[in-house]
Amino acid sequence: MTYLATFHWGWLLASLLLGFAMGWIAVVHRGQGVSKPLARWLAVLAAALVAAALARVVPGRAGYWLDLGLIMFALYLAGCAVGSWLRDRVLSGHAKAA
Amino acid sequence: MHGFFRWSSKWWPGVIPLVVFWAIAAWTSTGPLESDLAARSTAALKDTVLDKSRVAVAGRDVTFAADAFSEEGRRSAVAAVEAVPGVRLVNDETRLVPEAKPFVWSAERDVVRVTLSGSSPLPASKGKLLEAARAALGGVEVVDQMNLSRGAPPRFDNAALLLLDQVGKLKDGKITISDTKVSLSGMARDLGGREAIAAALKNLPEGFSVAANEIKAPPYIFQAYKDPVAVTLTLTGYVPDNSVHAAIVAAAARKFFSEKVVDNLKASVGAPSGFAAAVVPALGALSRLSTGTLVVSDREVKLSGDALYETAPAQIRSNLVKDFQQGWQLKAEISVKPAAAPVDATVCQQLFSELLGKATIRFVSGRANLDPDSAGLLDRLIETALRCPTANIEIGGHSDGDGENAFNQTLSEKRAQAVMEYLVKAGLPAGRFTAIGYGSARPVATNDTDEGKAQNRRIEFVVKE
Repeated sequence: MTYLATFHWGWLLASLLLGFAMGWIAVVHRGQGVSKPLARWLAVLAAALVAAALARVVPGRAGYWLDLGLIMFALYLAGCAVGSWLRDRVLSGHAKAA
Repeated sequence: MHGFFRWSSKWWPGVIPLVVFWAIAAWTSTGPLESDLAARSTAALKDTVLDKSRVAVAGRDVTFAADAFSEEGRRSAVAAVEAVPGVRLVNDETRLVPEAKPFVWSAERDVVRVTLSGSSPLPASKGKLLEAARAALGGVEVVDQMNLSRGAPPRFDNAALLLLDQVGKLKDGKITISDTKVSLSGMARDLGGREAIAAALKNLPEGFSVAANEIKAPPYIFQAYKDPVAVTLTLTGYVPDNSVHAAIVAAAARKFFSEKVVDNLKASVGAPSGFAAAVVPALGALSRLSTGTLVVSDREVKLSGDALYETAPAQIRSNLVKDFQQGWQLKAEISVKPAAAPVDATVCQQLFSELLGKATIRFVSGRANLDPDSAGLLDRLIETALRCPTANIEIGGHSDGDGENAFNQTLSEKRAQAVMEYLVKAGLPAGRFTAIGYGSARPVATNDTDEGKAQNRRIEFVVKE
């Protein structure tokens, strides 16, 4: 993991920033969200992929790409969470001030 | 908290650029990542002892194939690759080097090269053996056909290095180690090489033993060539030591009265037993030939050349065989020289005087038995007598002034008689010769000095018309 982090820090940072931006936008976004049942299915899919990665059942390059994708996705989600939370704080701060 | 779920349901659009990022990252990083991991894995294996080591990387998975020399070494090599940061999985395709049973190694030498084959325990010892072979055999091509195997006996390297040294002493042959048994065959390069190898084998490391040593020594060769044109006798080859050397050269000087002896002999060990006892009579046989070659190879005596008259070849052959010790063989190819043109009595006398001027017929001291050293001279006298078939010849025996007159008289008579008998035995008609003893009555020099006495003890040939 450390090795991947040092080897791909650029891409990982990009994922994090992308997530942060997406999280920032998501709070005020008016578009259609993902429906609950679909979100559940997606969570199951993500869990299955994480399980496959941890069990190391996918061989060779595909296994590497899976690892890489999951790490980038995890950082994306972390970025989203941080972005949304901060935006929310900022908005609620404004609201209180108003 | 409710808000958090609401927001998260709207995070999905960012996944689209994320997938694009991911695809680009995967596309550009896979190659560099694989080569980086391969380099790190290879570096991690630098200090391990492996054969046919091969590292292939797909993604972060390393396929590692190698031949290890022990189970422990194999496991630690796999562990070293597993410990490389970034490696996800190691596909372990390592195996142990096959065990050789029996563990056989050999070095074979032919004319132009030395071939090392069989099993060698470790890459390092293989390299060491090759290097030692190149050093021991300066300039000779060394061909490596060695495999790596487990199961070498302890101290194998030392034994093999010692044996490689011996390969340098061989002209051709093969040295084999089978487990702890050493066997050798072939031909030593020099006389004494066989003995040197046998001595070196005593230093084999503990546990090793010689199963068979069939190294042959090169033939022990002595050669003598009588050249009638240069009037020389050339001696080449080997003699066992300096005293035999001196004895042979002295015998040659006595037997070859008119030839100059060219001595190119070298002393060397390895002579067959009875060497001097065979070579001296063989030189006597050669002295009876007009031109000829004597080759003594181990215990085989080859004599070839031209005898001076009809009955000589058979005589030479039978006399020589009589002198040989057991185990010695004679191969004689003696032809007879064509008879020289007849001459008249005066010329015959001249020829006799010339021959007897160069050398005298010798007898055993105080007796009337012909000395074998005079065989060459006698054959030349016979040849000359055959050239004047009508002349009658008086064989006169003379003694020095020492001793009683009656004894000297009888001795000189008997000696003249012995010479005559020798000539008759060679096929000359007895009627042509008269043997007369003169005792000390006709000295040719003073009897006061040893030199003069030696001159007075003589046989004279006088042609009667």
